[in-house]
Amino acid sequence: MTLAILLVIAAVLALVVILRVTLSGSLQLARSGSFAGQIQPIDVAAFRNLVDPAEDAYLRRRLPASEFRVVQRERLRAMAFYVQTAGSNAAVLVRMGQSALSASDAHTAEAARQLVNDALLLRRNAAFALFRIYAALAWPNSGLAAAPVLHGYERLNGVAMLLGRLQNPAAPLRISANL
Amino acid sequence: MLQAHSLLWHYLWLAPHILQVGLAVLMWRSGLSRLFPVFLAYTLFEAVEEFTLYGLDVLPWVRPEIFWQAFWVGLIVEGLLKFAVTGELFLHLLRPWPAVAKIGNRLITCAGVVLVLVAGLTAGFTVPANPYWLISGAHALQQSMYIVESGLILFIVLFAAYFRLAWSRQTFGIALGLGILSCEHLAAWATIASGILASKSGLLDFLNMATYHVCVLIWIYYLLVAQKKVVTKSAVSLPENNLALWNQELERLLQR
Repeated sequence: MTLAILLVIAAVLALVVILRVTLSGSLQLARSGSFAGQIQPIDVAAFRNLVDPAEDAYLRRRLPASEFRVVQRERLRAMAFYVQTAGSNAAVLVRMGQSALSASDAHTAEAARQLVNDALLLRRNAAFALFRIYAALAWPNSGLAAAPVLHGYERLNGVAMLLGRLQNPAAPLRISANL
Repeated sequence: MLQAHSLLWHYLWLAPHILQVGLAVLMWRSGLSRLFPVFLAYTLFEAVEEFTLYGLDVLPWVRPEIFWQAFWVGLIVEGLLKFAVTGELFLHLLRPWPAVAKIGNRLITCAGVVLVLVAGLTAGFTVPANPYWLISGAHALQQSMYIVESGLILFIVLFAAYFRLAWSRQTFGIALGLGILSCEHLAAWATIASGILASKSGLLDFLNMATYHVCVLIWIYYLLVAQKKVVTKSAVSLPENNLALWNQELERLLQR
């Protein structure tokens, strides 16, 4: 009987999640206005510095082990924030690209397809990187490779810029400026 | 009114499946059968299965064992077809995007394995409410199938939401219908299998049939009713900000 009650509760929760996610997703698509306004700026230089293995090695050499762990945890938290922001921006770019997929111009449609694929790759990498960052927070001495996120982000910047240029030649750079 | 063999009972058992036959015919004529062949097969099988079971239920000379044996066969084939429909949905969602196709396939395989284990465990721990194994076993199998089915649909919905993957109108409709159906049926069959509300199991039958009817209507709406054309702006509208400065800095960085 307890098992049945648990299953009923699980089924109700699953139904609520399915309805909420599907219906809110379709509402978002219906009222998707300015995508670029949803993109949050990222200090790529600071991010690059954070994920630089040479910087890690330098800090490891210069600081006592206990202090290094404290500093490294702070750096990891900052890194997590950047990666989360990059992931959120990638999500916006996925929607941005998908809305441009049906463009009549073949170049725009192709750029949109490329943008969506790259943004999906970045979002996937961001999820992996976040997982590794949170794992590294427990063991700050372990190595960490968030570099694929950075490279993906840089590539995405270029593709978003191309799509912006194709969609709105008057203001091509402003889409990617936020990145 | 909410009694077995009432007019409403006959209607709820037959009407959704008559609609399914119509849906299958219209899918075939509109070419949707090429896009969703597994869903079409499921729709047709479900209709044939339920007409057969209805006939076996109302014909006085059919023994209960025959009904339950047919029920078992139908249940197994229906379950396999539903899993195939889930796979078809996921394929439609991922096919255009190779960046997440591989990870998606791996994750759904893992989710499927975990769900099968959970379903097996819950079936093992369910105390049969009916002394006849043919009946209690069918109830446990229904419960297990809907654990896996609802779990897979939930996984697909969350996966699509995380990656902001756009559903086509048809895949959205099929997933929404299957999601509602599998969650409601899971709750109902878990209740029936455990014997809770045994005195009111007829009401759960009505709930199951009514939910199925609603889901068939959802499928008809999303698969057959034409979508309104949404006019989208070709240019991306952008807010006022100091993005030019950001862009200069970024481009300088990226060109290093």
